[in-house]
Amino acid sequence: MHMADALISPVVGGTMWAATAGAAAYSIKKVKNEMDENKIPLMGVMGAFIFAAQMINFTIPGTGSSGHLGGGLLLAILLGPYAGFLTMAAVLTIQALFFADGGLLALGCNIFNLGFFSCFIAYPLIYKLIIAKGYTRKRIWGAGMLSAIIGLQLGAFGVVLETLLSGKTELPFGTFVALMQPIHLAIGVVEGLVVAAVVSFVWKQRPEIIEKAALGQPMGSLSIKKVLTGLAIAAVLFGGIFSWFASANPDGLEWSMFRTAGVEELEAPDGIHETLAKLQEKTAFLPDYGFKAPETASEPAAKDGEAAAEESEAWPAVSGGTSTAGIVGGVLTLAFAALIGFAVSLVKKKKPDLTA
Amino acid sequence: MKTSEAGLNTTFDMRLLDDMARKETVIHRVHPLVKLVTTVIYLTVVVSFGSYEIIGLLPLLFYPVLVITLAELPIRPILKRMLLAAPFVIGIGILNPVFDHQVFVVGGLTLSRGWITFFSIVLKCILTVSAALLLIASTGMDKLASALRMLKIPRLFVLQLLLTYRYISVLMEEVTRILRAYSMRAPQQKGIHPKVWGSLTGQLILRTFERAQRVYQAMCLRGFTGEYNTGAHERITVRDTVYLVVWGLFFALARIYNIPMLIGSLLTGVV
Amino acid sequence: MSHHMTEVKDLHYVYPDGHKAVNGISFKIHHGESVGIIGANGAGKSTLLMLLMGVLFPCQGEVLVGEVLVTKKTLPGIRQRMGMVFQDPDDQLFMTTVYDDVAFGPRNYNLEEKEVEKRVLQALEMVGILHLKDRAPFKLSGGEKRAAAIASVLSLQPDILVMDEPTSALDPKSRRRLMKLLDSFEHTKIITSHDLDMVYELCDRSIVIKDGEIAADGPTSKILVDADLMDACGLEIPLALQNCPVCGRKK
Repeated sequence: MHMADALISPVVGGTMWAATAGAAAYSIKKVKNEMDENKIPLMGVMGAFIFAAQMINFTIPGTGSSGHLGGGLLLAILLGPYAGFLTMAAVLTIQALFFADGGLLALGCNIFNLGFFSCFIAYPLIYKLIIAKGYTRKRIWGAGMLSAIIGLQLGAFGVVLETLLSGKTELPFGTFVALMQPIHLAIGVVEGLVVAAVVSFVWKQRPEIIEKAALGQPMGSLSIKKVLTGLAIAAVLFGGIFSWFASANPDGLEWSMFRTAGVEELEAPDGIHETLAKLQEKTAFLPDYGFKAPETASEPAAKDGEAAAEESEAWPAVSGGTSTAGIVGGVLTLAFAALIGFAVSLVKKKKPDLTA
Repeated sequence: MKTSEAGLNTTFDMRLLDDMARKETVIHRVHPLVKLVTTVIYLTVVVSFGSYEIIGLLPLLFYPVLVITLAELPIRPILKRMLLAAPFVIGIGILNPVFDHQVFVVGGLTLSRGWITFFSIVLKCILTVSAALLLIASTGMDKLASALRMLKIPRLFVLQLLLTYRYISVLMEEVTRILRAYSMRAPQQKGIHPKVWGSLTGQLILRTFERAQRVYQAMCLRGFTGEYNTGAHERITVRDTVYLVVWGLFFALARIYNIPMLIGSLLTGVV
Repeated sequence: MSHHMTEVKDLHYVYPDGHKAVNGISFKIHHGESVGIIGANGAGKSTLLMLLMGVLFPCQGEVLVGEVLVTKKTLPGIRQRMGMVFQDPDDQLFMTTVYDDVAFGPRNYNLEEKEVEKRVLQALEMVGILHLKDRAPFKLSGGEKRAAAIASVLSLQPDILVMDEPTSALDPKSRRRLMKLLDSFEHTKIITSHDLDMVYELCDRSIVIKDGEIAADGPTSKILVDADLMDACGLEIPLALQNCPVCGRKK
């Protein structure tokens, strides 16, 4: 359930990065305060553990289904929420870099979906609440199951929101939710079972590990945590509404705008003023998100926009001529890219021969 | 057992990427921070294209193609990684044609808008995944970490990132041994039986805690006090700046102008 | 040269679970000595090393390094003088390249980067793996890892080298190479091991530990050939001194 770069828009990616960076900065401050610098290698090695543990295939007999350990909740239980969140962030960073799981722009989303919800919502608000009266076998199972499920549900909902707000999928909201939530309910149940089993074992063998992690953050900090949670949710909502607004219908618009612009420029090369106006409009970074209002783009541009909007309504009627031009140009670009790649590698291969 | 093979693959892939990163080519010599920034700009540009865009994205293929060839990286393992990343993206994207039926005609072919958005997503996936992999394959974790330090990412996080990276292979080997021992005594099972979920994984956690303790001792014995000191950073040279500016300009051009469309219009106009 | 003397006085250590690991150990190790600490599994060797290095603090008794008492305060200085090589090099090589690992110690003492580089290259040169400096630790062979671990300690230019099972898990050639390397060092060496042949070759003096106490302390050439003593302490005389398996005679 890693978000991929290909599925997000820069605004959503950027917003989530900001939210994640905020949570991470706060966590670093907290971890530094309560340190215990021997937690640093522990966090590092536990991050590697999560990778290793993902190889273990937990099968449920009779169902043929199996699950893997997600990590966020277990890390929060073993290391405390702040160290757990940072560890999860490191794990996801390495996954994005080395294993192409998710991506660099989507990293903010992924850390938030898989780390924030489990460490800062499921763990303190559900797990700790149930465990508050002390560890017992039953409470570990209840708390583990419930917080794993809720953490994953929130994470899955995060994926849905981020994808939809990015405007990259045509899936209706209801269908998307109906698809994602049940799948993650199943994943959450398995994760909850594994977490509960593991925590019970560790608690039996080395109770001090788990009790120490829980002690790490006094209840007094809960209010700050709530503020932080509130802030983060506000950031998500803000980013969401903002990008919803930005991507209300820009995609079809953009397509036709680019098309008309390109053709016009070629057909009427004397209209320098007009071209400049358009250039101005286009250099506005990410024009479809309207970061910059096209100031100098006066009436003609505005009209253009209207025309384009109208055209996008009747979108299917793309003129055959420009489509062919696009395809011809596209094929040429591809061929050229291939040629360059080929040429460079040829030169590279020849070089040692020449020097030898 | 299937899972232990998967683990070996992961370790193998990490070794492979590490090998790639140790090469000495024009690309490898570019300053890590410059490469990181270039990658982020590239990703932002790719992702900023609308979901109906395919043709306009094509010029951006030049970046991965040139980096792969100039850095002398093998194509096959990178393609393999790309395929592994694809399922979720394809899974989400493949539903677009189902929900967006509006059709249009291109040179006698009837296509639905959904397919356009689907191919746009797939193309973006290829571009973004390859860019991220190329970054690490031409830079390596240690240099990337120094780039992060230059960006003022806190030492604590950078050190932790390095430690995680370092111990993945160690713990993978440990898990592989455990799973092998398990499967030899439970040949009929496909995975781990629920009865031992807790103890098998829990044992591994306890061992991990012990290892972390030893690592901490080894660090302390060499004067570690909680601060991680990196060495001097490499300087950014004129060549690095040129690299960044040239790519930046190219990405900007590709974003502003639909280059293939321009070429195509020129040609079809002439013909 | 009492300056570099290591002294242990009536050392006791009890683990939190009540296990008495070290039970009244005293000895003096002089500058340039090479001492083997041997004993069966669980005899208390590792605990003793941890106490020497100030990772653990004794419940009773004291450790003096160069006439300085090992306490939390004096640790930074003492750790610059004593370098410890761990049994599992994977615990010791925690950075992503050999160079960064060897540089970790000097950088922690805030040396100039120029000086750090000099020391790193020197240490790598000493153990003969200069060519591996940019490699990732997980790509080294067992012998190379061991050499890198030793270099990571040498870069702090210690006077005393403490080693836990330096030859474990090495193939015969690598073991031989490592022994030659250790033999060439002029440092004071304190080595714990079950590889008694190595101890016999490298150490002039041996201390035998049994149940947290010293069972014998003296010249290796006398202690390791004492079959009864060795047997009583869960050890045996070095293989090189046992019957020749081919001709069946004492060699």
